[in-house]
Amino acid sequence: MHLPHIGIWIAAFLTISSLSFLYKDNPFFRFAESLFAGVSLGYYVGIVLNQTLMPNLIAPMLEDFGQNWDLVVPGILGVLLYMRYAPKIGWVSRYALAIYVTYYIGLDFTRRLHGEVMPQLARAIQPLASLDSTTLYSLVYIVGVFSVLVYFFFSKEQGPITGRISRLGIWFLMISFGAAFGFTVMGRVALLIGRLNFLILDWIYPMIGLR
Amino acid sequence: MNLEFGRVMLVILFAVVPILGILLGMRAPALRSRIPIYVAVFSGLIPILSMYIPKRFLSGPTGMSPRLDQWLIILAGFALLLGIVNVLQNNMRKISRREKGWPFSVVLLVGLFVTGGFGIYGAASGHGIGIAADGTPTPFQYMTNWFFQPLQSTIFSLLAFFMASAAFRAFRARNAEATILLVAASLIMMGRVPVLELIAAPIPALHPAAASASQGLGKLTEWIMKTPNGAAQSGIIIGAALGAGSMAIRVILGIERGYLGLGRGE
Amino acid sequence: MAGFFERIVHLDRRWIFLFVLLSVAAPIIVPIGLPVDETAPTRAAFDFIESLHDGDVVLISFDYGPSSAPENDPMAEAVMRQCALKKLRFVVCALYPLGALGLANNVVAEIEGEFPDLRYGVDYANLGYKDGAAAVMRRMGEDIAGAFPTDVKGTPLSQIPIMKGVHDLRQVKLVFTAATGLIGEWWITQVHPQVGVPVIIGPTAVSAPKYYAFINSGQIVGMLGGMKGAAEFENLLRERYPQMEKFYKTTRAFTATKGNDAQTVLHTVILLFLLLGNIAYIRHRAAAARGKA
Repeated sequence: MHLPHIGIWIAAFLTISSLSFLYKDNPFFRFAESLFAGVSLGYYVGIVLNQTLMPNLIAPMLEDFGQNWDLVVPGILGVLLYMRYAPKIGWVSRYALAIYVTYYIGLDFTRRLHGEVMPQLARAIQPLASLDSTTLYSLVYIVGVFSVLVYFFFSKEQGPITGRISRLGIWFLMISFGAAFGFTVMGRVALLIGRLNFLILDWIYPMIGLR
Repeated sequence: MNLEFGRVMLVILFAVVPILGILLGMRAPALRSRIPIYVAVFSGLIPILSMYIPKRFLSGPTGMSPRLDQWLIILAGFALLLGIVNVLQNNMRKISRREKGWPFSVVLLVGLFVTGGFGIYGAASGHGIGIAADGTPTPFQYMTNWFFQPLQSTIFSLLAFFMASAAFRAFRARNAEATILLVAASLIMMGRVPVLELIAAPIPALHPAAASASQGLGKLTEWIMKTPNGAAQSGIIIGAALGAGSMAIRVILGIERGYLGLGRGE
Repeated sequence: MAGFFERIVHLDRRWIFLFVLLSVAAPIIVPIGLPVDETAPTRAAFDFIESLHDGDVVLISFDYGPSSAPENDPMAEAVMRQCALKKLRFVVCALYPLGALGLANNVVAEIEGEFPDLRYGVDYANLGYKDGAAAVMRRMGEDIAGAFPTDVKGTPLSQIPIMKGVHDLRQVKLVFTAATGLIGEWWITQVHPQVGVPVIIGPTAVSAPKYYAFINSGQIVGMLGGMKGAAEFENLLRERYPQMEKFYKTTRAFTATKGNDAQTVLHTVILLFLLLGNIAYIRHRAAAARGKA
């Protein structure tokens, strides 16, 4: 038997404190929850400072300001973001926020068009020339994509024909949501498996000499 | 001093114009909401246009778009820490007023300052925040391994219990659609993992039949995922992408201003 | 009998929680050794990496946090092991803000221990974490050093031999992203159209159904769906590289194969819950209909 090192004890205590919520809300869970929030925010400070601000902003300007003088601008814009917390001059943060939000929305626009709409439409439009299982599956695929898109068309009230197509779309969606539920079960269970694996094999077993 | 066209244009658009806007805004409050929107138009259009206009001033190595990408990496770092100010304000107020649950605010702030402090130490000392060459973790990595990772993993693992409880108490075949959902979910759950082999495990005579049935179920599951599920997901992706694309145009052109805290008429 | 179903359905949920806990703990304490069947997306991912040549560079992106580590860690480790065994060079980066860097550091340290002949800077490198995922990807498409001026230790990329022949993502033969959310999807929808680099995604099981649409459209060359996908990949690795059989049998580290038993047991439990709940519901509806009639 050998006692696990202090880090494992800390992790085990925090794990059990968090799981204790399943019985009922209690101070140990509240402690773990608050610590989680604080440590997460502190983690952000560490990674942003060490991995982004130092190598991408501060170091380039210190090493070669002539080449990187323009980086002063994103630095100041970043500080401007925090002006939103100052009551009288909060409006100046709108400049930084506007640049930040619309840049990423601009990226999102091209991503949606070139990465989602066009390739997905290209896949949906397949030749149905030969009489084999591939054609049958392609037909199911086309019908599925089309009926789901009809379901999502909310701009006009659905008539008798579009209503029926829409209902078929709902059935495809239900199959998809059922599949999503099945996969979600797998996903959530995996997290629990990881934690119990740690508690049993890395904490309890070494204590009782089984590892 | 590097005076490439791209950098100079970016500085004019995103530094000089905002400075002028701030100065004008101090005198004319109505301009405080207008000028940021004009600046936003350029910020949104540059990454889009650079995809379609292969001109050096825009998308070349010394153009506006590549340098703007680098600026926004830095800005994203500042943005990630924005919420910390709010959290600090709220929790310090809670502590100073001794509101209900204030000791837990102390715990939160201790966690924040200790972990953040180790991060700042890593940057200031040059030791970083990872694992040293001899394999020992830095204090920041130690906090990550034994505090941050266990806490985040366990809090999210609680979902497994609530999901099981919901499956038991709420998931009912109330109508045709719910029945389709239930049947699909059951088939997927049986097909993805060897449930039939587990059930047949105590009876060796059933093992070959269970294995065979499990494989068949696996193939059916893969077909469901590839064809009907793939079709539905494709429809969802196309529909959502078209909606997001049209919203993107509205935001870039300044029609939607909610993200700036402005209403329609402002 | 009617009373039994009624009592079961109205059971205090804490008994359900306890039952779930025991269902997951039991196979960890007493492993069953259930088989893992392979699926086409995982096989496609494995075969694609096998088709690469000695010295090809693979980018491995850690786009997940501790909230999905039991699913994504085994994937990242298995892909790195395959790269090491196949003499492929790999570059690691992390784009998910909440915890990816720490996990990347740990996984790289683990692989360093398993393959001591790997030379940092020559056979592999760790670029660390960077904010602004979409902007980072866009920059990497044209100039990796523009996004990552240094590696995780602060060494300029110009001084790292593996990066000398890799100016941008066009020189990378594959991007593998172990992902928990949108960032993984952006490798497919933003980077792949931009530079054409093949992408394999290792999503969590929760988001895996969506990626079948991307498999169908040919935007990704393979997928490791959740812990099951990781277990399949480990299986394929053991079949192809016999030396991995002993490793996976004896390693004390968590592997997806070890989780397969517990996952199967809990799936069976959930199916039982669904069955019991719906039997009670049908009986209740029938009784109500009889009562009305």
